[in-house]
Amino acid sequence: MTTTTQPMDQRELMTLQHYMKEYGQQAEIFVSQLDMLENGRMEALAAIDALQGMVASDDGTVLLQIGGGASVRAKILEPEKILIAIGAEVIVERSNKEAVDFLKERIMEMEASQKKVAETLDRLRAQMNEINKRLESGYQQSMAEQDQD
Amino acid sequence: MFGGLKEKLQAARKRLGSSIQAVATAPVTPDTATAPGVSALVPEQKSATPATPTFAEKVRVLLVERELIVSDKDVADALSELEMTLLESDVALPATDAIIAHVRKGLLGKHRKIGESVDSIVVNALRTALLEVLGDGFDLLDYIRTHPRPVKILFTGVNGTGKTTTVAKIGAFLKKEGFTVVIGAGDTYRAGAIEQIGVHAERIGIKIIQHQEGGDPSAVLFDTVQYAVSHKIDVVLADTAGRFHNKANLMSQLDKIKRVMKPDLVVYVDEAVAGNDAVTRAFEFDKTVGADAVVLTKADMDSRGGAAISIAHTIGKPLMFLGTGQAYDDIVPFEPAKVVEELLEGGS
Repeated sequence: MTTTTQPMDQRELMTLQHYMKEYGQQAEIFVSQLDMLENGRMEALAAIDALQGMVASDDGTVLLQIGGGASVRAKILEPEKILIAIGAEVIVERSNKEAVDFLKERIMEMEASQKKVAETLDRLRAQMNEINKRLESGYQQSMAEQDQD
Repeated sequence: MFGGLKEKLQAARKRLGSSIQAVATAPVTPDTATAPGVSALVPEQKSATPATPTFAEKVRVLLVERELIVSDKDVADALSELEMTLLESDVALPATDAIIAHVRKGLLGKHRKIGESVDSIVVNALRTALLEVLGDGFDLLDYIRTHPRPVKILFTGVNGTGKTTTVAKIGAFLKKEGFTVVIGAGDTYRAGAIEQIGVHAERIGIKIIQHQEGGDPSAVLFDTVQYAVSHKIDVVLADTAGRFHNKANLMSQLDKIKRVMKPDLVVYVDEAVAGNDAVTRAFEFDKTVGADAVVLTKADMDSRGGAAISIAHTIGKPLMFLGTGQAYDDIVPFEPAKVVEELLEGGS
C-alpha cells in the first residue's frame, strides 16, 4: 500500500478501518496456530524426555502425573514397546528409539510450520503497520480540517 | 505446498526402486523354453514364418530384452514403508490402503524389460495410484458453462477455516474468467462477518446482497438469487456462518437455506492444515447436509498434504480449489495430474 498526500474522505477512512479489523482477525488466527504448534512441540519434547527417562530408569519405575499436581509411582512393564499415534488416527507399536526418532522428526516438521506461519504473520503485521500509518495521517488531516473550520 | 509429503514420497520411491533393482540385477537362470539348449548346437534353419525367433533372437531376448517379474516378497518391505509414510503424512487409512493396493497392482507380476528404467516403473505405479485416489477434480468453470444461469453455490463448513475469504477469492477468480457474480452475505451470525464480506466485495468489484446482523440467512440468500435472476448474473456465491455438524439447530438452519435457495452446488470449506480432522469433518457434513465439492484453505502452510490426498477418496466428493495464501488470486483449481506431477517431480 502506498502512502499518499491526497486528502482522505470518511469513506476511505472507514474502509481502512475495516481492513485493519480484518487483518487483525487473521493475525489472531495465525497467532493461535503458532500457539497450537508450540504446544505440540513442547508436548513432543516432554514425551521424548519421558521415553528416554524410562529407559534410563533402573527398574522401569516412573512418576505418573494423575492431575491436580498428584503423582504416583508406576512401573512400566514394557518400556521398549511404545504405542504412538503416527497420524490419520492410526496408532502403531514402535521401539523406544524409533518412537523418539519419530517425535524428533515431528518436532522438525512443527518448527518448519512455525517458521512459515511466523513469516505470514510478519507480512500481515507489516501490512497492518502501513494501514495504521495511513489511518493516522487521515485522522490528522481530519483534525486539521476541523481546526480550520 | 506439501513439501514434507513430497520429500517422503521421494524416499519411498527410492526404496521401492532399489527393491526392484535388486530383482533386476539378480542372476537370471534361463528356463528350458528360453535356453539355447540342444537347438543351440543345431545349425540354424531358415524358417518360412518370420514370427519364429531365430537362435540369435532368442539369445538377444535372453540377454538384452530379458524380463523381470516383481513378486510380492520383493517389494513387501518397501510397500510397508510407503504405507507408514502415507499414514505419517495424515493420509486417511482408506486412502492409504487404496494407494498401496494400486501400487502393488502396478508392480506385482508385471513383466518388465530389463532395459526399462526402474525409476520410471516405480514413478508410473505411484502416479497411477495417486491419480486413482485423487479422482478427477472438479472443473467449476466447465460446470458453470454447462448449467443454466444463475449457478447457485452454497459454501458451508466449520468456524474459522476461511470460508468468507474463500468466497471472495472464488468471486475474484470467476470475475477474472469473465463471469458476472453476486455474493450473498449469509453469515448473519458472526459479529463483523457482513462487514468483512462487504469489504471483500468492494475490493474485488462484486455486487453484494446483505441484511442486518442477526437476520435470517435464508432471506438474504433468497434475495441474492432473486437479484441474480433479475440482473442475469452468472453465479451466486452464498456465504454462510461456520457451524459444527453436531449443532442440530444450526444444521437445520442450513437445511432451510438449502430449501429456500436451492443451490446447484454445496461446497464444503475446511483447512488443509487440519489433516485427517478435515476429512472426518467433511465426511460428517456430507452425511448431514450433503456436499458436492470441497475447498481446502491454507494449503501453502500444509507440509503433509494428508487432507488433500485423502478427501476425495474418503468422502467420494471431488476437491475443487486449494487456497494458497492471503491475496485474492491465491487460489488454484485442484488439478490432480498437476499435483501428482509436482509430488513426484525430481528426486530420480
